[in-house]
Amino acid sequence: MLPLRTAVSTSAGLASAAINFLAAVEVAQLTSGHWAWVAILVAGVLIVLAATNFAELNGLYPTAAAIRVWIGRGWNDQLARVASLVYASTVLLVMAADAFVLAQAFGQALPHVPGLLLVALVVAAISAANLRGIRVSGAIQDLNALVLLATLMAFSLAVLWHHPLPPSLPRAAGSGGFWQAVAVGVFIYVGFEWVTPLAEEFRDARSIPKGMLIALGLVAIAYALFTAALEALYPGARGLADSFTPQLVVGRAAMGEIGYWWMMILTLTTAGTTFNGGLSTASRFVYALARERTLPPGWARLNRRLVPARALLGLAALSLALAGVVVASRHYQLLINVGAGVESLMYALTAVLVLSLRRREPNRPRPFRALGGRYGIAAGGVIYLALGVGALLGGPGLLAPAGLLALLLALAWGWVRLGMPRWTQGRAHVQRL
Amino acid sequence: MSQNLEAVLEGFCLQCNQNSRLRDMNRDWDRVVAITSQGEHATPLWIVCRQGELTLHRHAPGDEADLEVEAPEEVLRAVFSGQLSPTEPYNRGELMVRGSSDDLMRLDIITLLLWGD
Repeated sequence: MLPLRTAVSTSAGLASAAINFLAAVEVAQLTSGHWAWVAILVAGVLIVLAATNFAELNGLYPTAAAIRVWIGRGWNDQLARVASLVYASTVLLVMAADAFVLAQAFGQALPHVPGLLLVALVVAAISAANLRGIRVSGAIQDLNALVLLATLMAFSLAVLWHHPLPPSLPRAAGSGGFWQAVAVGVFIYVGFEWVTPLAEEFRDARSIPKGMLIALGLVAIAYALFTAALEALYPGARGLADSFTPQLVVGRAAMGEIGYWWMMILTLTTAGTTFNGGLSTASRFVYALARERTLPPGWARLNRRLVPARALLGLAALSLALAGVVVASRHYQLLINVGAGVESLMYALTAVLVLSLRRREPNRPRPFRALGGRYGIAAGGVIYLALGVGALLGGPGLLAPAGLLALLLALAWGWVRLGMPRWTQGRAHVQRL
Repeated sequence: MSQNLEAVLEGFCLQCNQNSRLRDMNRDWDRVVAITSQGEHATPLWIVCRQGELTLHRHAPGDEADLEVEAPEEVLRAVFSGQLSPTEPYNRGELMVRGSSDDLMRLDIITLLLWGD
């Protein structure tokens, strides 16, 4: 059985993507001075509402199938299949966006080698480690998340020690800017809930809720400190807006070459946690979907170490191909907006599911209950719905993120309605109860 | 009339033990699996795997269970007799497990090798 430490590291690691540094810059641009790190902490409080929804659902049905089960029981089975496919595909989008940021960082550090080639080597190394089993990937996740959060905090504190924020700084925008910054800040935490598919591996049912909350606290402190450090060096993030790797610029400005390479290694660990955690959890999710033939059954093939190898390698290859498209087109913001939109809509959906399952299954034990009561949960759902719509309608290109999500939904819906029945016709041995 | 759960699990162990491929695959998988049907008076049954051979126990075998499986009795009977793929009740939230994903995958593969998917 897994220790609480792994729940914390998996949750924190999946939230800590390399694209978070870009979000930190955006927060600082929207509201400067002390308000930037305050916005990130306020966003952390907001995300706790979603976390407690996941905690209640996870306690109710602690299963690796997670949202597949919760939506199926709280709404209906067909929506559960469609939502599961779309949700799994957002992991690909986040991995591709992180691959893009890492490629940019490599491109600066080692200009004579194509950045995407180095990213491919990193993904290949992480895939190879994952093929050796869940324990190896768990150890990588623990180590990466520890190094990432501890060194990010240490770096930021060192910067603030030498360049303290003045006691009072003018705000760059009005209160509207602050709340916009909070909305962007929420996306620093997204992905924390991907630890829930590990629920069966913990003896104590409260490990996942505890792990998620501790992880959110650590992510809040680490990124609030980094944003404050960034503000101390670049008030209002002026001069960082055009950089794909602002953390490297801040590193060099703070500590010269040591700071630059420190942040380069940190960028590698953020991408490492995203790739490792994403491949580890998403491949098992895909395995479960393939076993029930929501996806082609070949994706359920296991290697000798009982790792869903085909799903894992397929996801790695798809995310790299997507990263290649992003590097060529430089439309990484599109992936971030779709990923953020899907995550926010999923958080809104968890509010609906919590309320629905309380009505449908009132007597089933709930080791953890969502915060806020019925109206608080509903209000949280409305906030996340608004954030999701905002993310999908924002960004570059008219309605491009909403269009991409609509395409994903149409493909998933079409597959569940038309493609999947063809696979399930071959089930000669199995009867339904 | 359908068989009771104990008879179904006896049959499951027998089928596993008669399958040379499974015996070989499970040679290094020494595990204790507790199987509990949901209900007021439900008590677990235990499948113990030692050196590739499965045996059914009515009482706790001494070692702590590595994998716990819980579901309504009709679901357990259907899954362990090959009438139902475990994935379906699992994805409906009727079949709950607790243990490492490696062990869960192993149990899934055993049913797959015995009865196909």
